[in-house]
Order: sequence, then C-alpha cells, then structure tokens
Amino acid sequence: MSVSVRFKFSRKGPVRYIGHLDMLRYFQKAVMRSGLPARYSEGFHPHQIMSFAYPLGVSMETEGDYMDLDLTEELPEEEMVRRLNEVMDEGVKVTRASILIENAENAMSLVTAADYRIEISGDTSVLDKAVAELADTKELLIDGGKTKRGGKPKDPKNIRPGILDIHTEDGGALFMRLVSGSAMNVRPADVFDKLNGFAGGVLYPECICRLDIYADTDGKLTALSETQRKYA
Amino acid sequence: MEKSERRLALSHRILMEAEKPARYTGGELNSVMKEADLVKIRFCFCFPDVYEIGMSHLGMQILYGLLNSYEDVWCERVFSPWTDMDAIMRREHIPLFALESQDPVRDFDFLGFTLQYEMCYVNILQVLELSGLALYAKDRKEDDPIVIGGGPCTYNCEPIADFFDLFYIGEGEVSYRALFDLYLDCRQKGLGKKDFLRKAAVIEGIYVPSLYDIAYNDDGIVKSIEPAASDIPATVKKALVKDLDEAYYNTAPVVPFIQATQDRAVLEVMRGCIRGCRFCQAGQIYKPVRIRSVDKLIQYAVELLENTGYDELSLSSLSTSDHPMLKELLERLISMCNERKINISLPSLRIDAFSLDVMNKVQDVKKNSLTFAPEAGSQRMRNVINKGLTVENILSGAELAFKGGWNKVKLYFMIGLPGEEDEDVAAIAELSNEVAALYYDTVPKSERQGRVSVTASSSFFVPKPFTAFQWAAMNRPEEFLRKAAYCKSKIREQLNQKSLVYHYHDSNTTIIEGILARGDRRLSSVIEEVYRNGGIFDAWTETFSYERWMEAFERCGIDYGSYIYRERAEDEIFPWDMIDCGVNKKYLYREWENSKKGTVSPNCRDKCTGCGCTSFTCGICIAPRGGTL
Repeated sequence: MSVSVRFKFSRKGPVRYIGHLDMLRYFQKAVMRSGLPARYSEGFHPHQIMSFAYPLGVSMETEGDYMDLDLTEELPEEEMVRRLNEVMDEGVKVTRASILIENAENAMSLVTAADYRIEISGDTSVLDKAVAELADTKELLIDGGKTKRGGKPKDPKNIRPGILDIHTEDGGALFMRLVSGSAMNVRPADVFDKLNGFAGGVLYPECICRLDIYADTDGKLTALSETQRKYA
Repeated sequence: MEKSERRLALSHRILMEAEKPARYTGGELNSVMKEADLVKIRFCFCFPDVYEIGMSHLGMQILYGLLNSYEDVWCERVFSPWTDMDAIMRREHIPLFALESQDPVRDFDFLGFTLQYEMCYVNILQVLELSGLALYAKDRKEDDPIVIGGGPCTYNCEPIADFFDLFYIGEGEVSYRALFDLYLDCRQKGLGKKDFLRKAAVIEGIYVPSLYDIAYNDDGIVKSIEPAASDIPATVKKALVKDLDEAYYNTAPVVPFIQATQDRAVLEVMRGCIRGCRFCQAGQIYKPVRIRSVDKLIQYAVELLENTGYDELSLSSLSTSDHPMLKELLERLISMCNERKINISLPSLRIDAFSLDVMNKVQDVKKNSLTFAPEAGSQRMRNVINKGLTVENILSGAELAFKGGWNKVKLYFMIGLPGEEDEDVAAIAELSNEVAALYYDTVPKSERQGRVSVTASSSFFVPKPFTAFQWAAMNRPEEFLRKAAYCKSKIREQLNQKSLVYHYHDSNTTIIEGILARGDRRLSSVIEEVYRNGGIFDAWTETFSYERWMEAFERCGIDYGSYIYRERAEDEIFPWDMIDCGVNKKYLYREWENSKKGTVSPNCRDKCTGCGCTSFTCGICIAPRGGTL
C-alpha cells in the first residue's frame, strides 16, 4: 500500500545557510534514521518519493514549510512527528504530520501564497514611510529574467499585484503576504529590494523567515497542513 | 550550548558573500558540542583543504570521535577557507575560527593538521596566518596553540618541519591520551612549551623536529642527523594499533549538510597491504596488515547506517580483495543492506568472477565502468614495480565483465617508472587495444550495446620515501611529456583506436610533489616564499602555479633538481632517516636491486620477505603462513 504524508517543518539558526538540494538530502537521511517505512521508486536506482512545497533558499528560515513523503503503511500522525524529531538535529524540527487523502495533489502544485517576516537592520526609522509608499504604488517592475538557452531578455514583470499584504509589526520586523505558484511567483527578496529603493538603500535584510504556505480553497487561503487531510 | 543557538563567527552579510556559506557554519549531524569551560583541552583539527574534501576523509572522522570520547577534551574542526572566503577574512581582519564553537583557532591548546598530500603544504601556512599565528614554530608565543601534524606526509615532514612543534608518526589511536596527560601535567606544574616538547619527544610516535640538528654536506646532501640531547631517541618509531578489533572506531561520523566528495558511510575493513608494490608508499608505511573481524564489521556497519542515514556504504582498505573473510563479510552485508535499501560500493576490489558476482548483487546495476590498475603496460615493467597483475588476470577479468554486460573499462597506468623504455610506454597502448579487441571477440554483434569504451589514464611517477624507489631519479617534465605524447600516438595507431581514450596528468604538479616528497628542511623557506606570493590551494589546477614555485626556488637559492633528478647512493643519509616506519632501509634497498633485475618478490601472505615489521608482533606477521590472518 502507499500513503502520502505531508510534514510541516521549521528551520532556524545556522542551518539556514544550506540550500534546497541539501535540505532534500538532509530529510532523506533523517527518514532513513527514523526507520519510517518509506516507499521507494521502482527502477535501477530506487529512491524515496519525497517532494517539497516550495524550495527553501540559502539563508531563509521557516516556521511553515512542507515536505510530502510516501510511506508503505499508515502510522499515527503524532508518532511520525515524534520519530522524525528524535533523529533530527538542532535547527530543523517537524511540527506536524498530515495523512493525505488518496490521490492528493502534491504540495507544490497547491501553493498560492506565502507569508514572510523579515528582520531588518540599518536605518529602520524610514521603514514605515517606505512601506506606505510601496503600498501606494500601482506598478513595481522587476527584471523578467532571460528565456532559456540564452534567448532574449523577457519583459519586465509587475510584482505589485502579487503583494497581498505588507506592514511593519511591533518590534520592527516587516510582514508580507505574497502570491506564489506557477502563474505568478513573487519573491520576498525582490519586494525587499523595491522597498529598500523607497528607503534610499539604508535597509538590510538580516533574516527572511517564511511563516506559512497556503493553498486556495474556494477563494480562501488555507495552510497546506489543513488541506487534503484524510482525517479532519 | 545547542547547535542552533550558536553565535556564528561570520555575520549574515559576510556569509552571503561566500560561494558556499555552509562551509563555515558547522552544526552538522553528529558534530560534537561541549561546554568550553568544562573541558581541559581544546583541540582544533585541521584538514588543510576545502571543506568538502576534508569532510570526506575517514582518518579525520576517526580521530574526531576518539578525541571527543575523552571527557576532558573538546575536538573541533577547521578547514582551509576557499579563495573567496580567504580574501574576505583578510579584508575584514576576521581571525580563523573552529566550526563547532566558532571560537578563534588561536585560543585553542592544540592545532592539529592532517597531512594527506604534499600539495596542501602552502595551505598550512594559510591556516596559520589566518589564525593570527606566526608561521615558524620558533616565532610563536608561549600561549599560542601547540601545532602538531599527522598523516602519511609525516613520514618525511622535513620540508614543513620548521612550521610545527611536533609530529605524530603513526596511527592516532595509540598515543594521544599520553600526549594530553603530559600536557595537563606540564600545565599543572607550570612548565612551559619547551619543557613539554622535551618530555613529549619520548612518547611513542612523537617526533619533535626542533630537537634534531641536521647538518648538510657541500653538495646539499644530509651529512648527519643528531638528537639535541642524549635522552632524545635517535629514531622515532611509528605508533601502531596491534589489534584493530580493540581499536576505537567512530560509528557516528559527522554528516555534512552540503555534499562532500565522499557522500557515504565508510567501513574500514583492514589496514595495511600484503602486496609490496615497489612504488607504493601506503603499502609500506601502514604495514603490517591487520584485519577487522566480520562480527565487528557488521556491528559497525549497522551502527554507522543508523547513526548517519546514509544510503550507501563503502568498504575501505588498500586492497579489499585480500581480506581473508571477504566472502562471509559480503554475504552478511548484502543481506543486511538489501533489506534497508542501502547500496554497497566496493572500491579497490580485484576484478574476478567473485567480485563481479558480488557487484551484480549490490550495485544498483547501471553497469558503470570497471577499473583495473595494471600500473604499467608491459609485463617487464610490472615485474620491476612488483605489481602482481598479469595480462591474463586483466583479460580474464575483462572477459567476464563483458559477458556480464559491462562495456566500459578504465585502466590506470604510471609513466616515468624507473628503468622504463619507450617500448614499455607503447605497451600501454597495446594492452588497452587488447582489452577493446576482447570485447568484440567476446560479445556477439547482436548483444553489443554500442562500442566498448576503454579509458587509459596515466599519472607521472613520483618516488616516495619508504619505498624501494626512494633512491630513484624522476623523469624531467619534458621527458614525461614526450612519453605521454608517444603513448598517445601509439594509442592512435591501434586497430581499435576509436574505442580508446587516453588521459594524462599535469607534469608540473608532479615535479613539485616530487620535490616536497623527498625534500629536506631547507625547503621551508621556499614554501613560505610561494605562500607569500599568493600560493594557496596548490592541489587545485585553477590555483596552482608552477612559475611561482620556480621563482621561489630561484630566490631562495635552492637547487631543486638535486632532490629529484639524481639517483641516490646506497649509503646516502636521507632527510627522513630519523623516522622509523618499521620497514628497514636494508630491505628497501634489496627491493630496489630486485626491481633493477626485474625480480618479483612474494606477498606477505605467501612468504615473509624480512622487511622488519615483525618487530610489531601483530597482524599477518604472527599469522600462520599461507593461512588466514
């Protein structure tokens, strides 16, 4: 049998300096150590069937990222969380396991938005004003990148519609909710660069933390851990 | 302190400037945190190359685990910052720090370097300087760390002797506790570094270079090596583990976050080699052969996999096929690993019916290439180097492999071996062709999957201390290149040349390696000069500069040719003669003479050749002849 499980995890501290592929390898090893009954792919080089909702960039922290894993048997959700955390090193922690309905879509295809908190250093006295100016702007153009195989540069992209919310929090951190996914994907670093433009370049992002990732369920944003669950 | 709460030595801004910041942040699985205030000795272990290379080294993992098993010692790690970080640290005046605590290296009690290859020597100076320490031992202060070196290059550590306080000759499992106890005792009694070194010089395997006076003849050859006092031993004999089953093994090695060169669990099945190839230094300095028992190995394998989560287990030794219980070991490992979806990799396995059968059972069968190491093209040369592999061995192994579905073969050779003629070089091409031709004879047309691919690679031969060839002259670079070009032209003449690929190594690196391998203490000024002129990461082609070395020899007035281009006299005093690896010079000279006659010598299992290692009274030296260990 095969059962898909969605694990929610956090990553804090020095471990944030590893990239997405290294994170994948980290989790593969953790699953091996935990003894969870991972299902393996067929073929010459069997591997665990593991995927992530959203690649976690070098230096980003998270309080709500997601990893999907196929198992050969169903175990209680709390037991899976416990067994992984027992073999996890400091810095990475599984906070939740959700057994998914049969034929669930993978996490990556569900992503529509994500929340971020950015710790900022520099002259933060100008932050509120810069946020207000950015929020009032209708168009924020960023470089569209190049087409594959060294083709022509793409047209600049307007990321303003993808900023669903941006405000400063008590304590001086910056909160943003950004559209994510295949149709439109707004990166927090791009928004920050625009903001820093309004601030005259005096701000520096010390740490970007992803707070959670959401799916669109009937026009409403729902955290990925709450979608497609077999047991509500 | 928890790993996740550590304060990093580098700011976020600086880490984001680096190509791979995770090289400098530590905190990996199984890395060890202790309370700095609760330990008595802080030891910083350095592999003087980039993180991904250093973290692939088994010896470092063993010593790291061993030293941290002592409650009063905290062993941490440091690696050479890559060129990008090297520049940043100099620009920002950031002192080099250890990965675990992120504390400056200069605050440690010991800084230990593992010396795995000569081309990392300039990086030792990089690490010392970035740590804020003087390069020369004599210039360092009383409370600076004791700088110690270990590993294969210590068997001739003279070119770097002036940079070190002491060297550890032999296997690390033996003497570190005694060294630490002495250190603590000296500290308690208020004795200084000088007194400590003086006392350390009598510990098994410890060599204190400043306590030996070296005199030279006018021609630059060593005239005498004199201990500075009567209680200092004239020779330092290597420390050796007698029973591997009793020795410490680290079954919870540090697992890097970023992909290291070796991304797998490593099981050391035995130490030493019975074969006695005349070019091979490892074969001599790790004698005698000692094995781990199958029960112990299975236990370690299970622990390793459970503690790391690796999906691959690699068996490590100089010649795994020579483990007397290999069949039983593999049977048990295969059943354990298949159950857990673990792949087993078997480097240094002789290709024969048994090993091919095993490979079919363990490898996720993509039928990757098979490797043979004939080392020389002609049988005459293989007799000269005492490589007991015949054409028949190679061809019968290849035939079985081709029948089993493999169609890629790699062949390793050396060029520039003592007594080599052009016909021996041509034989490399002929042997490669024979292997390719065998494929077409063996595999019917209907079953072939394209053309067979035979890749012949040659490196240039470097004579090493403690081998039969330590007396030999090296070829000059132009001779190396002429022979390589000749070999290439011969490859092109072969009938199956379209199935053959030929590669050869850089001759300039080989020359520098040769000088450092058999050089003496006068080279420290040259190494310093190269470093001062920007030389780091010499082991990497993109950062190595031959011209920088040549200029340094010129400026220091060193005639490097005398280290490599002349055949040495039988009674010559070598710079490394104060080191005793157990194999005596008389035996090696006998082997040198045998090589000139093309006479082969038996391996340790068939017959003792009297190398001198019976003095260790362990391993194969005390096993019944012809039997198991």
